[in-house]
Amino acid sequence: MIELKNVSKEYEGGVKALNRVSLKFTEGEVVVLKGMSGSGKSSILSLIAGLCKPTEGEVVVDGKHISKLADHFATSFRRENIGMIFQKYNLIVDLSVQENILLPLVPLNLKNDELEKRLNRELERSNLVSKKDIQVKKLSGGEQQRCAIARANSNNPKIILADEPTANLDEKLSLEFIASLCEMKRENRTIIIATHDPLFFDLDFVDRIVEVGYGKIV
Amino acid sequence: MSRVINFYLLSYSIGSLKREKYKNIFLFVVISLLVALLASTFFLSNAMKSEYNTLIDTYPDIVLQNQKAGVAATIESSIADKLLLLDGVKNSEARVYGSYYFNHADSELTIIGVNMFTPSCSSFINDLMQKHSLHRGEILVSSNVKNLFNNYYYKEYFNFIKSDGSLKKMQIDEVFKNSKNFFNKNTLVMLKSDARDIFDYKEYEARDIAIDVANRDEVVSIALKIKRLYPHMNVITKEDLQVEYENLYNFKSGFFLTIFIISFFTFFIIIYDKLSGLNGEKRREIGILKAIGWRVGDVLNAKLYEGAILSLSGYLTGIILAFVYVYLLNAPLLKNIFLYSNNLLKDYTIHLSVEYETLALLFFLSVPIYIVATIIPSWKIATLDADEVMR
Repeated sequence: MIELKNVSKEYEGGVKALNRVSLKFTEGEVVVLKGMSGSGKSSILSLIAGLCKPTEGEVVVDGKHISKLADHFATSFRRENIGMIFQKYNLIVDLSVQENILLPLVPLNLKNDELEKRLNRELERSNLVSKKDIQVKKLSGGEQQRCAIARANSNNPKIILADEPTANLDEKLSLEFIASLCEMKRENRTIIIATHDPLFFDLDFVDRIVEVGYGKIV
Repeated sequence: MSRVINFYLLSYSIGSLKREKYKNIFLFVVISLLVALLASTFFLSNAMKSEYNTLIDTYPDIVLQNQKAGVAATIESSIADKLLLLDGVKNSEARVYGSYYFNHADSELTIIGVNMFTPSCSSFINDLMQKHSLHRGEILVSSNVKNLFNNYYYKEYFNFIKSDGSLKKMQIDEVFKNSKNFFNKNTLVMLKSDARDIFDYKEYEARDIAIDVANRDEVVSIALKIKRLYPHMNVITKEDLQVEYENLYNFKSGFFLTIFIISFFTFFIIIYDKLSGLNGEKRREIGILKAIGWRVGDVLNAKLYEGAILSLSGYLTGIILAFVYVYLLNAPLLKNIFLYSNNLLKDYTIHLSVEYETLALLFFLSVPIYIVATIIPSWKIATLDADEVMR
């Protein structure tokens, strides 16, 4: 379903993040990308999401060569297929919880009832119903993480990409997050988690652990 | 099926404006005030131009003025009779008129001398003399001037101070209705002999010679003939006066140019500031939006709404403020600049005179420029890789 073929990525200033990496992910699989900071795991997620283009090689998702797509089509692809959870949540902190959750759906111009249906579903799932009108900056770290997950889920993506999702959470909140991943797994979503948190290394629902080091698969 | 207008995007843009409310309120106030200032000036100058055009219609086709050492001087009245002999000249009149400063009221009065039985080159005077009669020692005053005299207890008589300091007592005979044109509102009319006495003109002297031409197409050639006859004198056609007045109240004149430059300098500082780029928070927001599936077009649409809401509301508020200031409040302060602080003319009510070109000019100089200045920095960021923007 997702395939990286001999992918290299070099950022401005000559920083080489990935060096001829080849990887495959199948549908419904949960894969942990393990590695130190700067090993290249976040770059793998960015390439799969089409947030950047590889310097070399190809990224194919569902038969689409997304590394060759123009920005417009890459964004459309991301909108329809990918839900991203970032390390620093990347929420717009001045907006309310519900505004953040609905943000990916704004350009779709859906009907009101459809929008409300999706919003209520995500608010209930993330247990944020009572906080829906509160500005994100007033939430705790765990609540912000739940809001970020709800936003990632709001467009019903087939693929969830989580970049260091528990880096800013304590153990209790990290376990809560893992529980929500488990639920996503039950919905047969493909989940790729880039982390160096040991909590993820012996989970029973994780299908595979891939170790990344110095831009290569170890 | 998706709807044509994306109200969620619109709502996002309004929310985005609210999030930086103090900055955006400031921008809104600045745009509104700049548009209001320029629009008020335009409205007032348009009203003045329209008044002058009405006034110029009552003017003679050609005026001949004497000059001494480059300064306007009195002219011999007999020249009017000589000019009557020129082919194409319908009427010529030696005019005796001038400004009289009424110091108690700090007001300029315009004294016009007339002959009871000789037609004038001014339609305003001809109309007036058909309805009223005048004798030596009598004056006809506009109702504006009558009110002014009443305020200073000159109920039946007015004492003019002549150039030698002696008084000339004149009876206030009749009052004529204020002319539609505000420039005639400070007028008083008397016989030419009385006017000569006040201005210390000799019997054979006049202020200038007014000439009416039978065929309007011949004005220029007759003006040339007169110039050849009196090369040391100044020949002014109605068209010359029109151009002079228009320039006076045109945006090219110094006052308008100053306001124009100050306003647009201020506006372009705002534009330059916007074009100079987005702050880190705004850059990051665009990166997040792209990462969660917003296309470049979606980001730009949101920015378009933001710019349009702010600039359009600022523009409309500015125009409404200018309307209220000029047409309802009668342009306090600004009117004084236009009317040179003449107390008599302060009562003048500005008549509605809106040029749609002016409104369009202000619109195109404010709204689209502001929108473009809002979009360009966002476009620069939105076309980068989202990954790069968020890093």
